[in-house]
Amino acid sequence: MAENISLLAVFPDLGPAADAIDQLRALGIPDDHMNVISGIPVTEAMLGRPNQWTNVPRLAAGGAVLGFLGGMFLTFVTPNSYPIPIQVGPQAIIPGAPTVVVLFELTMLGMLLSTFLGVFLDSYFPNYRPMEYVKEVSDGKIAVFFICPEDSKEKMTKAMTALGAEKVEVAEVEQL
Amino acid sequence: MAGYNKKAETAHVKAEHNQHDEEHFREKHLMLDPLPRGQMNDMVMESMYTTSWKFWVVFAILSVIVAWGLFYSWGRMILEGLGIAGVNRPAYWGIFLVNTVFWIGISHAGTFISAILRVFKAEFRRPFTRAAELMTTFGLVQAGFSIFMHMGRVWVFYWLMPYPNERMLWPNLHSPLTWDLLAITTYLLSSTMYLFLPLIPDLAMARDRSTGWRKNFYKILALGFRGTEGEWSHLRNAMSIFAFAIIPVMFSVHTIVSWDFAAATRPGWNSSIFGPYFVVGALHSGMGAVIMVLAVVRGTMKNMKYFIRPEHFDAIGKLMLIISMTWAYFFFNDYMVQWYGGDKWTHMLLHFHESGPMGWMWFAMLIFNIAIPWAVLWNQKWRSTPWIVFIVGLLINVGMWFERYIIIPISLSINRMPFTWRLYHPGVEIPLGIGTLAFFILLYMAASRLIPLIPVWEVEEGQMAHELKKFGRETVVTVSELE
Amino acid sequence: MAIELKVSEVKMGEAYVGKWGMVIDQDMCTGCQACVAACAMENNLSFVGETDSGYGRSMHWIRIERFWEGSYPEVKMTPNQPMLCQQCGAATCEPVCPAFATVHSQAEQLNLQVYNRCVGTRYCANNCPYQVRSFNWRDYKRPEPLPNQLNPDVTVRRRGVMEKCTFCIQRIHKAQDKAKSEGREVVDGEFTTACAQACPASAITFGRVDNPDSLVSQLARVHGHGVKHLEELGTLPNVTYFKGG
Repeated sequence: MAENISLLAVFPDLGPAADAIDQLRALGIPDDHMNVISGIPVTEAMLGRPNQWTNVPRLAAGGAVLGFLGGMFLTFVTPNSYPIPIQVGPQAIIPGAPTVVVLFELTMLGMLLSTFLGVFLDSYFPNYRPMEYVKEVSDGKIAVFFICPEDSKEKMTKAMTALGAEKVEVAEVEQL
Repeated sequence: MAGYNKKAETAHVKAEHNQHDEEHFREKHLMLDPLPRGQMNDMVMESMYTTSWKFWVVFAILSVIVAWGLFYSWGRMILEGLGIAGVNRPAYWGIFLVNTVFWIGISHAGTFISAILRVFKAEFRRPFTRAAELMTTFGLVQAGFSIFMHMGRVWVFYWLMPYPNERMLWPNLHSPLTWDLLAITTYLLSSTMYLFLPLIPDLAMARDRSTGWRKNFYKILALGFRGTEGEWSHLRNAMSIFAFAIIPVMFSVHTIVSWDFAAATRPGWNSSIFGPYFVVGALHSGMGAVIMVLAVVRGTMKNMKYFIRPEHFDAIGKLMLIISMTWAYFFFNDYMVQWYGGDKWTHMLLHFHESGPMGWMWFAMLIFNIAIPWAVLWNQKWRSTPWIVFIVGLLINVGMWFERYIIIPISLSINRMPFTWRLYHPGVEIPLGIGTLAFFILLYMAASRLIPLIPVWEVEEGQMAHELKKFGRETVVTVSELE
Repeated sequence: MAIELKVSEVKMGEAYVGKWGMVIDQDMCTGCQACVAACAMENNLSFVGETDSGYGRSMHWIRIERFWEGSYPEVKMTPNQPMLCQQCGAATCEPVCPAFATVHSQAEQLNLQVYNRCVGTRYCANNCPYQVRSFNWRDYKRPEPLPNQLNPDVTVRRRGVMEKCTFCIQRIHKAQDKAKSEGREVVDGEFTTACAQACPASAITFGRVDNPDSLVSQLARVHGHGVKHLEELGTLPNVTYFKGG
C-alpha cells in the first residue's frame, strides 16, 4: 500500500468547496479523512459534512452541576460548620432567599467557566505546535484538507482544480 | 391616451428610482455594502497600526491622571485612612459607591448589545459587539477599583472571598455585599470570557498578517486557532451558551447592586422596584456610553467610517429612546409609591431631594435622563448624527451619575435620627473618580490599538446573509439565517 | 373563629425579652455629658479632634441628643435624649456585614462588634436606624500621657474599623467571672456600665431585663410608659426611654 499524504485545496467560495467534498467522497475518501478550514463559521450543513461532535454543552451542564454543588456547600455546609452557629439579626442560620441568590450565581459561574474551558479542551487550546494551515483562510477562502494515497495525488489535484480550486498542494506543517 | 402615457412615465421613473434605491441601500447599510474579506482585514489591521501624535498626547495625559488620581491618591488613602475622603456620619457611603454603581451600569451595555441583540438576531449589532464588550470588561475593572477604594481595610479584602482558612471562617451569605462579590466576580469573569471567545478568530487573522512583537502577541492570544470545522463548532456552541446564559447574569448583577440599597431599612431605599429600576438605569447609562465610544471610534480611528455608519447610531438611538422611556416609567413608579405611602421620613427625603441644597441635581437628572433624550432622539436625522448623539449620551451619563449620587449620599444625609443629619462633601473621592474615568479611557485606547475592534468574521457573516430582494417594484432588505 | 398565628422561633414585639437592658429617664437627664466622657475613658475611644468632629465624624458610643420645639423666640427645649446602641434583639446591622464582623451573642443577647474581623464596608452603620455606630476614619493620635489612661480590658481600634457601644461587655464578663469564682450568680447592681456609673442624676439604669426583680425591670413597671425608639421597625431594642413622667 502506498504512503498516505495530506493535500489541501483552497476554494474561493462555499459552493465549489461543497462540490469538492462531494467529489472527494465519490473518489473514495471517507469523511473523517477530510477537514475544512474557514475564516467564517461554515456550518456542517452548508458543505454537506457530518455533524461535528462537541462536548461543550455537556461540559457546560457538568460545570453548572459543580457550581450548584459549590453553592450548596457555601449555603448549607459552611453556616453549620461553626462550633456555635452564627446568628445575625432575625434571620435563620440558613436563610431562604439569599440561598437562592448564592446558588444562582455559583451555578452560572460554574456553567460559564466550564463552557469556556470546554472550548479549550475540545479544540486542544492553547496549541502552539506547527500545524497545517494556509493564511488565505483568514481572507475568506475555504481550504479543504484531505488524506489520500500518494499515488492518487495527480488525480486528486486534477479533480480539485476542475472544481475551481485556486491551488492544490501538499499540506505543509508550519509554525502559525 | 394622455392618462395612459402618464402612467407609463411614472413607471419608468419608478424603475430608475429603484436603481438609485439599491445604491442608496449600499451606502446606508454596512451589511449591503460588502467588501472582500481580505480588504476588510487590511482595513482593521491598519486601524490598529495607525496612531497619530494626538493619540500619544492624550495617552500621556491620561497616564499622568491615572498615576495621580488613581494610584497616588489611593495609596495616600490606604496609608492615612478614609478620613481624607468625604464620607461621614450619616453618609457612610459616598462617591466610591456612586462610581461602583455607575461603572457596573456602563458595563451592562456591552452585554446588552452582544448577548441580547445576538439572541434576537438584531443585525445592526455586528460591527460594534466587540467595542461594546470591551466597555463591559473595562467598566467592571473600574467598578472593582471603586468598590475596593470604598473599603476601610482594603488590605484584608480577601476575607470576603469564600476560601478554606485556618479558622474556618466563611463569608456571611446573608449580606447583599457578599452576593455582590459573587455576582460581580461571575459577571467580570463571564464577560471577559465572552469578549475573548469571538475574538479568537480575529486574533488568528491578526496573527496571519503581523510581524515582530505583535506577531508573538497575537500568536499567544490566538491559542493556535486555525478555523477547522471542529474549532468553529465548539466556538459556536460556546458562544450561543454564553449569549443566553450571560443575560440572567447581567440582570442579576445590577439587581443585586440595587439590593445593597433596597435591602436596607432606610427611608427611600427600601423599595421593591429598585431591581428593575437599576437594571434599566444601567442600560440607560450604558447605551449612552456605547454611543459616545462609537462616535469617538468613528471619528478618530482609521477606516472606521466604513464599519460604523449613521444607521448604527440610528439603531442605538432608538434603543436609547425606548430605554429612556422605560427609565422614566420606573422612576415615576418608584416616586409615586414612595410618595403615596405617606411615611413621614420618606416624605422628608423626597422633599429633600427636590428642594434641599442639592435640589438642582434632582432636576438636572430629570432633564438629562428624560427631557433631552426625548426631545432629540425622536428625530431620525438627529439621532443618526454622531456629534449630536455623543452629546446626548454624555448628558445621559451625567444624569445617571446624578441619579446614583441622589440615591446614595444625598439620601443618606437624611435618616430617622434627625440629630445626625448632615450633608456630604466629597474629598479625595474626586481625584479617585477622575482616575477611574481616565483609566477606563486609557485601557480602551490601548485595547483599540492592540486587538481588532471590529469582529471581521461576524461582519462578513452578516454581509453574506444580507441581500436585496424585489417584492413587485419595491426593493427590500432580506436576511437569511445562517446560524 | 380567630386565626391563630404561630410565631415560634422569633419572638416578636412585646413577647421579646432580652437579657441585658437599660432604662433611661429623660426627665432626669441634665445633658451634662458625663456619660459620654465616662464611656470614652472606659472603652478607649479615640480623640477625633475639632475638624473631623465638626464634619460629623465624632466618635462617641453614646451621645446626648438635644432638640427644641417651636421657632424663635418661643423656643422650648425638649428633654435630652441619650442615644446609644440599643442592642437590638433583631438587629438590622448584623445580617448585612459580609464578613460576620457584627454578630449576635447568643449568651448575652448583645450585638457584638468583632473589630479584627471588620473590613470597613460601613454597611452596618448605614443600616443602623439609630445611627449609633462610629467609624475609625483615621488613626487618631493619642498624645502622651493619654496612653497611660487606656483600659487594658478593651482593644484599641485602628483605622478602617467600625465600632459601637458594647454595654461594657468587659464589665459584664468581669462580674460573671468573679461571681463564678465565688460560686454564685451575678447580683443585680453588683456592677454597671460606665455611662450609668458616671451619671450624676442616675438617669441611666442597667441590669437584667429578664429578671423581674432587677432594678431595670422594677423601674420599667413603676413608670409604665416607657418607649422604645423606632420600635415599629421590628428591631426589638433593649433600651427603654421614659419621658414626661
